[in-house]
Amino acid sequence: MADAQDRAREEFFSEAQEIVEGLGRDLLGLDEGQRTGRVDAELVNDLFRAVHTLKGLAGLFGANRMSTLSHELEGLLDDMRLGRVELTPTVLDLLFRSAELYDRILQNEKEGRDQAMPEVDDLIRELHRGKGGAPPPSPIGHYELDPGLLAVLTEYEEHRLRTNIAQGLTLFRLRVQFQLATIDQALDDLKAAAKPHGEIITYLPTGAGADADSIELDILMACKLTGAELEVALALNGVAVEEVARRPVAAVSSSPVPFDRGATAEGAAGTRVRDGSEARRREALDVASLLPPQMVQREAGGAGPKVPLDVASIRSVAQTVRVDIQKLDRLMNIVGELAIVKSSLTRLSDRLRAAHISRELSSDLHRLQRTFDRHLESMQKGILEVRMVPLGQVFDKLARVVRQISRDADKHVNLVITGAETEVDKLIVEELSDPLMHMMRNAIDHGIESRSAREAVGKPAMGTIALNAFQKGNHVVIEIEDDGGGIDTDRLLDAAVRRGVLAADEARTSSRREVLNLVFIPGMTTKSDVSELSGRGVGMDVVKTNISKLGGVIDLGSERGIGTKVTITLPITLAIISALLVDVAGRTFALPLANVQEAIVLEPDAVRRIDDREVVTLRGTTLPLCFLGQLFELDGSAVVGASPGGAGAGHAVTKRNGKRFVVVVSVGSRKLGLVVDTLIGEQDVVIKALGASLKSVRGFAGATELGDQRIGLVLDAPALLEELSTSPRDARQASEARDG
Amino acid sequence: MVRILVVEDSSAMRSYIRAALEEAPPDSSDAPLPSELEIVEAASGFDALRLLPRGSYGLVITDINMPDINGLELIKFVRDSEHLRSVPVLIVSTQSGERDRERGLALGADRFLAKPFTPEALRDAVSKSLASPRGAARSGGDG
Amino acid sequence: MANLVRRPGAGLRRVRQQDRGPLVEYLAFALAGEPYAAPVSLVREILKPPPLTPVPRAPRSVLGIVSVRGQLVTVIDLRRRLRLAEAQPTRRARILLVDGEAGETLGLFVDEVLAVYRLADGEVEAAATALGNEVAPYIAGIARPGAARMAIAAPLGAGEAAKKRATMASAPAEEGGVVILLDLRAVLA
Repeated sequence: MADAQDRAREEFFSEAQEIVEGLGRDLLGLDEGQRTGRVDAELVNDLFRAVHTLKGLAGLFGANRMSTLSHELEGLLDDMRLGRVELTPTVLDLLFRSAELYDRILQNEKEGRDQAMPEVDDLIRELHRGKGGAPPPSPIGHYELDPGLLAVLTEYEEHRLRTNIAQGLTLFRLRVQFQLATIDQALDDLKAAAKPHGEIITYLPTGAGADADSIELDILMACKLTGAELEVALALNGVAVEEVARRPVAAVSSSPVPFDRGATAEGAAGTRVRDGSEARRREALDVASLLPPQMVQREAGGAGPKVPLDVASIRSVAQTVRVDIQKLDRLMNIVGELAIVKSSLTRLSDRLRAAHISRELSSDLHRLQRTFDRHLESMQKGILEVRMVPLGQVFDKLARVVRQISRDADKHVNLVITGAETEVDKLIVEELSDPLMHMMRNAIDHGIESRSAREAVGKPAMGTIALNAFQKGNHVVIEIEDDGGGIDTDRLLDAAVRRGVLAADEARTSSRREVLNLVFIPGMTTKSDVSELSGRGVGMDVVKTNISKLGGVIDLGSERGIGTKVTITLPITLAIISALLVDVAGRTFALPLANVQEAIVLEPDAVRRIDDREVVTLRGTTLPLCFLGQLFELDGSAVVGASPGGAGAGHAVTKRNGKRFVVVVSVGSRKLGLVVDTLIGEQDVVIKALGASLKSVRGFAGATELGDQRIGLVLDAPALLEELSTSPRDARQASEARDG
Repeated sequence: MVRILVVEDSSAMRSYIRAALEEAPPDSSDAPLPSELEIVEAASGFDALRLLPRGSYGLVITDINMPDINGLELIKFVRDSEHLRSVPVLIVSTQSGERDRERGLALGADRFLAKPFTPEALRDAVSKSLASPRGAARSGGDG
Repeated sequence: MANLVRRPGAGLRRVRQQDRGPLVEYLAFALAGEPYAAPVSLVREILKPPPLTPVPRAPRSVLGIVSVRGQLVTVIDLRRRLRLAEAQPTRRARILLVDGEAGETLGLFVDEVLAVYRLADGEVEAAATALGNEVAPYIAGIARPGAARMAIAAPLGAGEAAKKRATMASAPAEEGGVVILLDLRAVLA
């Protein structure tokens, strides 16, 4: 016994010595990392484990001073590795002092001396003061991780997982089989191959598929690469790569600033001081969010679906801040103000040049002015960029809804999302939520057939809905494609004729596309038709209106038996739309290009009157006309400039000698020809809402600044179409009633 | 003869455990340990995975915080394996790792012993683990 | 209307002497030749009118919209709102920016800005009924501030000529004439 004990004690000293030497080496690495801003998490964990072992050993062999020091140091390192304490120069200093004192303590222990070491006591006190706060909440719940895998993560591994997710890395499950005989080498090779691309969080023996000589491992890895890239990187290691799917998330909220960047030094130890027990409690809470919902639900007695406790956005991490969109609007207004300064500057510069005072001065000013313009433009662009958010925000929500609806409808649906990272203006993302949700619902309820129906026609029992997003020039395209039954165009036509939307002869000559577009007509797809129209058409008129309001266009394609595809094309920013500028009675109006189909020259002789309305025939179909000058009562009474009295100022009567134009606008299958005096051209314009006091004024979607303080009203084509589809007499009466 | 696997990445800790178990004073009034013990050391989780299928173990003593395969994964592996399911598991880890201890017990470990421990405490824990239903069945089965 | 409002009020002066209460600043402006005023605290800014864009189909009292530092502001013609006689605006016309309902910023188009008066509550006479015309619902009261109450003449800081005009325009006030205090909330409702 004595022999064994002595031997163990000897081992203790040699191991402790080895550990302390290792500490010194690791600290040098840490110091380097701290200076370069890239702290190796593995190194911190190694340090923690080393001190942890020292503490255990010291406890066993009665080395009390070493035990106490190790205990405090372990606490600090634990906080560091779990992200509660930031590695600052002060903390590093503490660590170096500890390593140095370990050496001396060890000497004393070896020699059996028990002398006072006040410097150790001081260090212990300092270490004791710096206890870390709570770690940032975890987005682990966002991933479809096997609960079995999560259950075996140590606290540290869980923290690393969390940190890696927070840094936006992708999670992969690697499956690999190792020969037990060569596992060490094989493992080292795999680690070396993986290290440049990310971090291996944990290794879990699967216990399956292995004989006595080999072992199968599930490896959880966080990685910067895509699945395909990682597969290539690990090609020599015999690894099967599988991306861990992200779980749809209900809501998105902010996550705190990550510890390793934003933490500020407080207290003597230069660490964030917080109640350790609170930190632990929050940790405990957090575990619930690590478990997949079904597990949480079970624990909660199945009390309804539970949203993961933390719903931090995977994107809103690291170096991001959250900004109130109104603040950005205000910034945009300041840019507007600068634009005014700019135009004053231009005038000044012109005057200077005209006055021939100083050629040099005037060219200097001109140069300055150009620089100012450039910066102003990039500032405006920058602010618009800040407003951009990934479509993934709304896609995540959709994925959750799809799961819910398909469960309710008892249909197996596989939602395949691509392009979730595509960015659009925040306001658009918000406004898209409802229309997209609606289309998803339609796709599942009316698009995807029942399982038996699918099997009967030889389709896979599981339906597929593809949700794709991508950028195309200044626009973002969103496609929703299902492999369901498609729209029954015959029935759609029947319904259209029955409802008087389409004349019987029109029905015969309609193109397939025109027929499909019937779903966008209000009243075509009322609730009673839900079962009748086995496509998706329910409420599509509303969807179309919503998309139009965003300056977008929606298109529909469908093949009976094969599926339906809805394509939405949206401007990237809500604030900026492409518009056709037109002139009516000397005033400039903007028409969103999304609504403009074409523009033709008005042949006065071609105008006919049908039912008290002027029309022309456009390629065989009747196009109702709207003379904007008359509608807006501009002809002959035009008022331009700041002249409230009106009479005689500015424009008198519109010039009638020149030709006029018809701008054909369309919403769904309805068309209207807007008669204007001049086509000015296309332009990207920043659209602004009219004030609340003009809410009741119909026909305008907003206004836009045309430069030089001039403002152009943006026409609301869907509203004009809506208004003018009532008879012109009614419209006139309504207008008279308003003005009277 | 009862074979015990000690999974620990600290060699000093392994030695300590071996000493505490192998050289129990014969006159001690401690909980009785089997007269014949064979202590097998594994320096890592992988070592343990290599060793476990090749021998019949009456008890696994494991640390939690180890590189690569951690103690929790080892416990899960043992509990999921048909061959090893009935082997009792004793966790030796620090007092501060409550969360990991809880997880270990939830995964099917039988007992937890906080580091640092005295040889007496270890012997007591080992003897109780071996006497537990799982351990008893195991010892009985192995003769 | 002019005759009615210029009626001398001897009684009022006595009240003012006894209990003036805290002083409130009023911005006086001209509409169709008459001085009106509104609390300065409600006026955010006084603008020279930028080019106005009329909005077809808008209510008649809406002159149009202007852009103020990138923000669209609906401008209301106070003459039309108060149903006063209309006339061509002059170079002295101004837009007063005020906060309307629901946080909307509105512009009030006035003929000319005159002066700022300091008035105590006690100097404000409830006189809506006395006026008895279409302006009545928009009136908070009347006051006879006199020259002594004038804090700033020609508040736009214009040149001497403008100051002279302002003094001339507010001549009735100097004689103890009446300034009509508008109830902006009623005007903007």
